[in-house]
Amino acid sequence: MTSQVPDLWPPSAQEVVFLLLGVVALGSALLVVTTRQLVHAALWLVVCFGALAGGYLVLTAEFVAWVQVLIYVGAIVVLLLFGIMLTRAPIGRSAGLDSGNRVTAATVAVGTAAVLVTVVVQGFATAYTPLEPGGGAAATLGASIFRSWVLPFEALSVLLLAALIGAIVLSRTDIRPANPAADAGGPAAPTTPPHPPDPAPPPADGSGATAGETGSGRVSRDGG
Amino acid sequence: MNGTIPAPTIEYALLAPMLVVFGAAIIGVLVEAFAPRYLRSAIHKPLTLLTLAGAFVITIWQARTGIPTTPSAMGAVAVDGPALFIWGTILVLAFVSVLLINDEGHFVASAAAVPGSAEEERALTEGATHTEVYPLVLFAVGGMLLFPAANDLLAMFVALEVMSLPLYLLCGLARRRRLLSQEAAVKYFLLGAFSSAFFLYGTALLYGYAGSVDLAKINTALGSVGGQDTLLYIGVAMLGVGLLFKIGAAPFQAWKPDVYQGSPTPITALMASGTLVAAFGALLRVFWVALGGLEWSWTPIMWGVAILTMVVGAILAITQTDIKRMLAYSSIAHGGFLLIGVVALGNNQQQNASALSALLFYLVAYGFTTVGAFAVVTTVRDAGGEAWHLSRWAGLGKRRPLVAVVFSLFLLAFAGIPLTSGFFGKYAVFQAAVAAGATPLVVVGVVSSAIAAFFYVRVIVLMFFSDPAADGPSVVIPGGTWAVGAVAVLATVVLGVFPQPVLDLAHTAAQSLFVR
Amino acid sequence: MNGYFSSYLTVAVLLAIGLAVVSGALLVNRLLRPHRPTPEKLLTYECGVDPVGEGWAQSQVRYYVFTYLYVVFAVDAVFLFPWATIFAAPGFGVATLVEMFVFLAFIALGILYAWRKRVLTWT
Repeated sequence: MTSQVPDLWPPSAQEVVFLLLGVVALGSALLVVTTRQLVHAALWLVVCFGALAGGYLVLTAEFVAWVQVLIYVGAIVVLLLFGIMLTRAPIGRSAGLDSGNRVTAATVAVGTAAVLVTVVVQGFATAYTPLEPGGGAAATLGASIFRSWVLPFEALSVLLLAALIGAIVLSRTDIRPANPAADAGGPAAPTTPPHPPDPAPPPADGSGATAGETGSGRVSRDGG
Repeated sequence: MNGTIPAPTIEYALLAPMLVVFGAAIIGVLVEAFAPRYLRSAIHKPLTLLTLAGAFVITIWQARTGIPTTPSAMGAVAVDGPALFIWGTILVLAFVSVLLINDEGHFVASAAAVPGSAEEERALTEGATHTEVYPLVLFAVGGMLLFPAANDLLAMFVALEVMSLPLYLLCGLARRRRLLSQEAAVKYFLLGAFSSAFFLYGTALLYGYAGSVDLAKINTALGSVGGQDTLLYIGVAMLGVGLLFKIGAAPFQAWKPDVYQGSPTPITALMASGTLVAAFGALLRVFWVALGGLEWSWTPIMWGVAILTMVVGAILAITQTDIKRMLAYSSIAHGGFLLIGVVALGNNQQQNASALSALLFYLVAYGFTTVGAFAVVTTVRDAGGEAWHLSRWAGLGKRRPLVAVVFSLFLLAFAGIPLTSGFFGKYAVFQAAVAAGATPLVVVGVVSSAIAAFFYVRVIVLMFFSDPAADGPSVVIPGGTWAVGAVAVLATVVLGVFPQPVLDLAHTAAQSLFVR
Repeated sequence: MNGYFSSYLTVAVLLAIGLAVVSGALLVNRLLRPHRPTPEKLLTYECGVDPVGEGWAQSQVRYYVFTYLYVVFAVDAVFLFPWATIFAAPGFGVATLVEMFVFLAFIALGILYAWRKRVLTWT
């Protein structure tokens, strides 16, 4: 991979574009974490991901760039926005976003950034690869996925299925069918065999605690 | 891409236990989608149990017909002696955990209903259940099988996610103390996602260093690539963070108490046993196979982590008043003891094999004991659910002596008292560590065992020598829980009195070490 | 090499032109229109009657579930693209076809489950 390293000055057009995209990504990322408006944070994240996708394009990783746009910008940011809208987080400035740890957070962030930048610069200072288009195309990736990475690929489908099931378990409220007689999900409630509603201990001892259990114990479920 | 490239080879026979578990999970999802509500539980329970038993039988058969010496599935999976032993352990522990799950009343009626709302009320009166728990458990177990057997870091990452995601969900499905349960799920999810990000970043850096994510190739690159040490060390550190989080090693242990406390107790049992075994298998594989050549660099750090973990686990458990949190800290301490075995890597293959076999034996012993302990925790119930506060356990020995004796046995096994399985586990691991020159670690281990013994004995004293409260908890032992308790007691006692067969089995499994 | 970059440059220029047109139109509008706000004009429009309540309503979880389903299928599609370019190539036989169909089957099972749980109905 390492070949004759060209000089850093004058930079080629690709390097300039890559640098600019990097600045945009960094700036928008900073704005994501410092802005006071929650929805603006999600939108700056779009800019950040878009800049990253542009960076991938410059590095001739076309397919990854379009995956970035499709999945990250198209799906994940939308999920974030819907998540924000599901909560009572208001539009506009919200005061509660700042945890008051600005100094600590800034120190940790700068420290982490310094470590990672040092690692990458030191690790790849002398590595140079000329950019050949076609290496990142869908066909090349497909060839390697369906050749050497088949097992992780199939495991990924299992992961997606598990995630899907789990999300539906957590969010599905039992939507009553319009016509109870045409219930496709199973027989109506009266014919379900009686599940013991709670494993409430048969009161062999302790009178007051159990007498109140069946009545009010149902509604307020959380002692902790 | 010419016409002479062969199709990828997947050794289905070798991967059969995993495929069986995933296949049953798929069938479970089909059952969920199509079976009428009253039939679902009746189909899931035998299906899950038979699957786990069948996968176990296949593992045994595979171990007897010959252990492969090369990685399988295009280098993604390494089915070797230790992997098969760990598979067997995970499958048995998952089997007993599912027996716990089978008993009614651990899981929420409707997860989407807001706690305290009319919807929740309605779901309870209708007798709604979330039988999706069974396929989710099978997905998690499948991930637990793939995680320690993965031969490259990408497959390991996918397995980590397959294992963790269903567990994040299952943590939030407790029937009682729902807000606490949801908090546990959110905490586990956030921290777990963060640690997976560390794992992935470490993988990326190591790929940059070695040019491959295959464990054996990383090991070869350790010797041949020069001048990239920063990349290597930071990559290893990040990878280590991801793996140590899963084990619950300090300073990444903060999730364990909250998650164990909030989850439904059968899921806690599954996590405490299965996830720990799988995570240790993966940790061993990464650090012994991929980073074996770097041993002089990571062993000192691992020493520090082990000491910190043991001390934190032992000391912080003393202040706990919730029995599940106490058991969680004890689990952290045991993770520390196991880490002592991880640093016992030497140059001698015989020594490595004995360290590995000690670790495998400890994992089996600890797994059974912890499932048994959590099974007992499910049986002691107050009006509002499980009696979680330690003071409610006072005098249990006087009212239900058998339950108290069984729990005491498990606590003594945790403490490592002779004649219990915990003693032989600790002895084997400490012996291996001393042989590898890690005597200070063993000293710290013994001291923290003594500290831990304090709070174990405190609970025993509380049960037997205190007076029970007037409105004390009652003990309800459904059939499945009884079976789990019996199996755990049997395992603890037999492994304590007669550990040789399992020790030999572990030794045979560890003999060939890890496949490269 | 230059073909690659010049083609993406075309895409970038197109994006820039699109942005320029939209923002230019809005900018010109802003410069040309009168700007004399009064309290009544700044009220939120609610079909001509006086607005009641806050401008923010908590959305329902079913929108989120649809987005979530989209994420899963977007990841599915991401794997379909490279597969589609190579599965007919020489050297990749029925095995590749079957692998992808297994992948699709697993995820189709998810949508089947969602359908049966009445998540896909719009009540």
